[in-house]
Amino acid sequence: MTLIQKLQNIVTEKFASDDIYVRHAYSRNVHPDLQGVPEYVVRPKDAKEISEILKVANEENIPVIPRGGGDCEWGGSIATGDVGIILDMKRMDNIMNLDEENLICTVEAGISWGKLNEYLSRFGLYTGCMGPGSGLTASIGGGISHHSVGAGGCAKYGACTNQLVSLEVVLPTGEIIETGSQANKFSKFPFNRFGNGPDLAGLFCGDNGIYGVKTKVSLQVFPKPPFANYKTFLCPRNSAEVAAQIFTEIRQKGIDVYDAMYIDEILIKLGTNTFGMYPMFEHLKRKRGIVFYVVEANSEQELEEKIKQLDNILLSNKAEELGSEIADGNFAKWHYTEGQWQTYHNCWGIIPTFENITTECFTPIKSFPKILKDIEVWDIENEENMKKIEEIAGFRPISGTGVVPLVDGNNVELTCGFTTFGCYHDGEYHEIIKDINLKLWKSFLTLVLKHGVQFYMMGSIPSRLMVEIGAYTSEYYNLMKSIKKTLDPHMILSRGKFNFWEDD
Amino acid sequence: MSEVYQKLKKIVSEKFVSNDLYMRHAYSRNVDPVLQGIPEYVVRPKDAKEISEILKIVNEENIPVIPRGAGCCEFGGSKPIGDGGIVLDMKRMENIINLDEENLIITVEAGISWSKLNEYLSQFGLYTGCMGPGSGLTASVGGGISHHSVGGGGCAKYGACTNQLVSLEIVLPTGEIIETGSQANKYSKFPFNRFGNGPDLASLFCGDNGIFGVKTKVSLQVFPRPDFANYKTFLLPRKSVEASVNIFTEIRKKGVDVYDAIYIMDLLVSVGCQYGLFPLWDNLKRKRGVFFYVIEANSEVELEEKTKQLDNILLTNKAEELGPEIADGNFAKWHYTEQGHWLFAHNLWGVVPGFEPLDAECHTPINSYPAILKDLDQWDQEHSEEMNMILEIAGFRPITGSGPIILIDGNNVEFTCGFTSFASYIDGKYYDIIRETNIKLWKSILERVTKWGVQWYMMGEIMSRLMIEIGAYSEEYYNFLKSIKKTLDPNLILSRGKFNF
Amino acid sequence: MSKIENLKKQWEAIMSCMGCGDCGFAIRPAVGRYLVCPVKEAKGEEGFEIWFARGRMNVLKSILEGKLELSKDLAEFAYQCSECGSCTDTCHETHNPYIILNTSKWIDHVEVWHALRQDLIKAGFAPLDRHAKLIEYMNNPDMRNPYGEPKEKKFEWLNDVKGVSKTGDLAFYAGCTEPLRQKETLLNLAKIFNAAGKEFAVIEDEWCCGSISIRIGDIEAVKPNIEHNIEQIKKTGAKKVFVACAGCYRTLKKDWPEIFGQDLPFEVVNVTEVLLDLINNESLKIPEKDTEVIKVAYHDPCHLGRHMDFYEPPREVIAKIPNTEMIELRRNRNNAWCCGAGGGVKSQFPELALDIAKDRIDEAVESGIDILLTECPFCVGNLADSVKKENTNMKVLDIIDYIATKI
Ligand SMILES: Cc1cc2nc3c(=O)[nH]c(=O)nc-3n(C[C@H](O)[C@H](O)[C@H](O)COP(=O)(O)OP(=O)(O)OC[C@H]3O[C@@H](n4cnc5c(N)ncnc54)[C@H](O)[C@@H]3O)c2cc1C
Ligand SMILES: Cc1cc2nc3c(=O)[nH]c(=O)nc-3n(C[C@H](O)[C@H](O)[C@H](O)COP(=O)(O)OP(=O)(O)OC[C@H]3O[C@@H](n4cnc5c(N)ncnc54)[C@H](O)[C@@H]3O)c2cc1C
Ligand code: SF4
Ligand code: SF4
Repeated sequence: MTLIQKLQNIVTEKFASDDIYVRHAYSRNVHPDLQGVPEYVVRPKDAKEISEILKVANEENIPVIPRGGGDCEWGGSIATGDVGIILDMKRMDNIMNLDEENLICTVEAGISWGKLNEYLSRFGLYTGCMGPGSGLTASIGGGISHHSVGAGGCAKYGACTNQLVSLEVVLPTGEIIETGSQANKFSKFPFNRFGNGPDLAGLFCGDNGIYGVKTKVSLQVFPKPPFANYKTFLCPRNSAEVAAQIFTEIRQKGIDVYDAMYIDEILIKLGTNTFGMYPMFEHLKRKRGIVFYVVEANSEQELEEKIKQLDNILLSNKAEELGSEIADGNFAKWHYTEGQWQTYHNCWGIIPTFENITTECFTPIKSFPKILKDIEVWDIENEENMKKIEEIAGFRPISGTGVVPLVDGNNVELTCGFTTFGCYHDGEYHEIIKDINLKLWKSFLTLVLKHGVQFYMMGSIPSRLMVEIGAYTSEYYNLMKSIKKTLDPHMILSRGKFNFWEDD
Repeated sequence: MSEVYQKLKKIVSEKFVSNDLYMRHAYSRNVDPVLQGIPEYVVRPKDAKEISEILKIVNEENIPVIPRGAGCCEFGGSKPIGDGGIVLDMKRMENIINLDEENLIITVEAGISWSKLNEYLSQFGLYTGCMGPGSGLTASVGGGISHHSVGGGGCAKYGACTNQLVSLEIVLPTGEIIETGSQANKYSKFPFNRFGNGPDLASLFCGDNGIFGVKTKVSLQVFPRPDFANYKTFLLPRKSVEASVNIFTEIRKKGVDVYDAIYIMDLLVSVGCQYGLFPLWDNLKRKRGVFFYVIEANSEVELEEKTKQLDNILLTNKAEELGPEIADGNFAKWHYTEQGHWLFAHNLWGVVPGFEPLDAECHTPINSYPAILKDLDQWDQEHSEEMNMILEIAGFRPITGSGPIILIDGNNVEFTCGFTSFASYIDGKYYDIIRETNIKLWKSILERVTKWGVQWYMMGEIMSRLMIEIGAYSEEYYNFLKSIKKTLDPNLILSRGKFNF
Repeated sequence: MSKIENLKKQWEAIMSCMGCGDCGFAIRPAVGRYLVCPVKEAKGEEGFEIWFARGRMNVLKSILEGKLELSKDLAEFAYQCSECGSCTDTCHETHNPYIILNTSKWIDHVEVWHALRQDLIKAGFAPLDRHAKLIEYMNNPDMRNPYGEPKEKKFEWLNDVKGVSKTGDLAFYAGCTEPLRQKETLLNLAKIFNAAGKEFAVIEDEWCCGSISIRIGDIEAVKPNIEHNIEQIKKTGAKKVFVACAGCYRTLKKDWPEIFGQDLPFEVVNVTEVLLDLINNESLKIPEKDTEVIKVAYHDPCHLGRHMDFYEPPREVIAKIPNTEMIELRRNRNNAWCCGAGGGVKSQFPELALDIAKDRIDEAVESGIDILLTECPFCVGNLADSVKKENTNMKVLDIIDYIATKI
């Protein structure tokens, strides 16, 4: 039997394909230059099918790459090299159970944050942390694989893995397990992550798809408070430092804020005059950095009180409040009432074919202004390469950062990077752009890594770069690898990430 | 002195290793009266490096090692299983290494107690949020992380202490030292985030009950302690168990920001009053279940507002507010202002002399515990014969029930049910039969509760093995656990015997 | 290697696709958006990404980069798209004028799909069999309509109506579908005009507008039709031409000037605009009969709505009809769900068209309406076909037919 026949035997003919066009449809994530054409694409319906697929893959020694929403920016959910089976998890997007009493929702891992939250909203609930900025498409499984955070609710709820209650996982060799309270066979429904021995769920949190395939996820959900307010402020000069100060004070004073985010000066400047992305900010006389916040509360009084506490911090830092309507520049209002899951999209396609590539990482609040400064220097240092791209594409890449949200504890999510072009321009494929991009990415990632940041979306490039530049201690890397080998002796799952290869 | 002793001595110096018989016996028990194991050596290492060297030696010599924080495990987790092996007394490592005031992250040695740590933090207006376990005056941060401890205050708001974990330094069973989270990136100058740089490997050691590695350094997120707080205690109506469930559930459904919410069941209130544990409630006409809460806020208005929201829930459930002073029955005030949170579980012990709880500490959904409590009544009756046998010897019948039921993460409570029995030594005589009966009953009650689907966090010896014996883990899960154990600890050095490894 | 001239012209659009996938999955209640691609949803669980925009864009990127060739197999994928434009509406649209996601400025998916189809035709991999027939019929001198009917049949409806002339200020371009398949609607149109005491001109020897051929990607084939039709319309002397077909509307108003290369010598309007005028200037009075209130909803045809930004006049007309309660479907205007017939899907992949329609019908039935109104014979046809298979009393009607019941 051929492999495609074996796969079709498991999932039926309709759900496994080796069609060349289907394969190419799955050959990219968010950046066009990172391409890997898989040999097969399979759309399994449940853990059992995945278990069988993995058993076959182990027999045939062919890698398997789980793919949720495919929104990884570092090629994490495409084939590494033109080999392997893409496991398209998007068929598994059902809500299995909403435990209204215990506020726990169990879903199949392929469901998007948008779909899940639309469902929850009918019950006055939400996921708290609304997942990543790509949540209209990105899946819960992908979110858990990345510790995603950023779309909303990050300052209050932190990374989505914080809300994790239980996981059903298919191990690389095909065994199906459930974690947390479900490790006790007698438990009738998932209710707690922590216990019954070590928190094995954690192994799969942020694993970037290397340790197992998440098939079912139970998340703690929350009543969405009936009251909310959202305000946007223009920062004084040295906006980044001011924003960092504001964020720090919010934490120092322990204020219960739902979201607090910073939009860097460069983005505001280019986004208004040059690129017309922010009509709401056109009227600003000075185009400086913007800070905005969202607070939620159970009553009007509680809301007012929290606003007072926050406004105090902002005003004492000389931030200037903008008008309350979106038209007046109240980005926060748009973010909370409409823009959920779109706040980051405008880093892409600013001009045609402009592609964003970012180092999505966590870093302590006070460290980010310094990193941004270093990025400016880096940008100038790489003038020559930037110019080469400009010569072909007609536009020079831009370095900087997307919206900077306050996340867990005293961290921000820093989506800094540089926005460049893909290789294809007006009828021609310019290999040189790819070479420059790869070189610049690595140099950029290294720069940021050396600031000690913490990556969560590691895909194929950062995960390997970390190993190559020796950012892990050998003890840590060996631990990660020994667990990998134990769980996945043939390196079937996401082979290549973190430099885990079959012949290791 | 043996060769092993010499080697240990070389590592930690003479003062910090002992194989003195008395010393060994001093480390032979935890909180329960029935599980004992006498170690061969007790070692008090000073840092990760020493521990690493110790572990390398024991791997060569094939000697099991049991990390012991404060030894407050109730399931025999921090003493040898059977006799022999080395107890690694972590209490020497109790220093505060660094307080990052800007990022509100504290790094401590794993042996430090929750109370010592919080005393230090209070100097800066900070606290750990989740104050650790009810045994926090003694219990260590490392033990807390090993158990996902929660229950000693702040649990409703902050959840289990592992929620606050930022980074761990661990000595793996074969001696390698690693740091997790942001520290996995060598270039990171200080710990700031648990999640990233690949899989959340810290989680392996959270709740591991000491089987996967020795925690040497712990970085925790700490929080500004809010300026304002309120605390109230209520007498519940009849059917107080059900009422408490409703109240807990409504608090979560309305998303009210509560710091602590705790229910003390009827039986405990009435027996407690009978034995003079609760003078504060002597004045109560009806000894029903009691409910109390603590809230914190950044301003008076915020506090009032939250109080209003909570009181609403309590009053619609026909709870009756007690007076504001401790003397009026306001247990909450004692709990919060006099750090009663590290004492309020203590009174399950020694209610009458020699009385020892054999409990089943677990997490369970809010709405599940009434049925479990009923079943425990049933269980108690089913075991009348054994109970009476103990009554005959000890002059007192064991009591089955639950300690305070504490709202924790999400919609869970910490449920410390169990039965309170006697130690085997009574008035000059050692009764083997009591010990045997206790163990039998204990296993029986643990099994019973497990079958309600609860989740154990403190597993120690008895629980970790029982889970396997009664087949509560699926085969796949157990094999998975075991394969990781074997990967990390090929000679099963660390806590040998737990989980039947 | 096949030539891909048209795709090459779309390179900026194709390469601007960032691959976010929102064109396959977006659910955004805040702006009324509940899912995106009718084809993907109709394929249901089989929905490999090739069935919606992101996967298609990925394939096109590979084609542009020379890693992949056009082929007949690709044509099978390419033509299973109703060109509804829903993906464009979702792709990086904030739906708020104060914040712009620039990508929305560069990508018009329907234009991209169109370029692909044109290149497939040029390379000889398309048209597919049934589509080829349609074009062949359209260009057959004895037919001039895609239905393969004799030329004369298209004008038979005129035998049953009065009040039409050969010249006049206002001309009616009847298209092919209603005269050949939904004659009743045209009779009702005449009935309404009679009631309003107005006349309109009809076009002699009117040929197919070419919509189908354009959608299939064969532009060359329609050039004669456009030239012929413009000449014929000129003969009526009309300054204004109205159409009662969403496909004709888009084709006349948008495609003809583009392909023809200059502005048309007349204005093209939709029948609902004409009806609205008649009602507003009170020449058309719809009597308030003492009947029960009928609940209706309006289904936005893609070719009117997303393609032409034409949303309000039909609603305004409906609002003026007595005893009629208008309900908005959950997905309306730019978020409307496609009926499934467009882009040549109905003719080549009728089952797919019905699957898509079912989704829309379910939504309409759920809303509790009596009648689903629309303003396009393709929508009427396909939705009505689907209703037949459902256990419901809900009807699907053209607005024209509904008004006629009131007169
Ligand atoms: C516009 C935009 C905004 C973004 N904003 C954010 C942000 O704010 N925060 C953020 O964290 N990220 C952000 N991202 C990055 C990325 O989209 C998210 O990290 C997202 O969570 C990925 O989810 P996905 O379902 O698309 O995962 P995929 O890309 O499909 O997969 C991601 C990784 O997880 C693995 N994986 C996926 N599903 C499973 C499964 N079921 N089992 C096992 N492994 C699996 C894959 O193998 C891969 O390694 C953004 C991306 C874009 C394009
Ligand atoms: C009165 C009383 C009240 C209690 N209340 C609670 C409560 O509210 N909540 C609760 O969770 N528990 C409670 N407990 C149980 C117990 O005290 C706690 O779980 C506590 O956290 C244990 O900490 P310890 O330092 O005493 O750990 P130990 O008993 O010393 O050890 C516990 C386990 O962790 C391991 N361990 C300890 N330190 C390390 C280390 N550095 N590295 C690796 N492994 C280590 C040990 O091997 C053992 O398996 C209570 C106990 C008592 C007596
Ligand atoms: S035009 Fe419509 S059918 Fe075609 S890909 Fe876009 S959404 Fe799908
Ligand atoms: S077509 Fe638009 S919506 Fe679809 S993946 Fe590309 S950029 Fe995203």
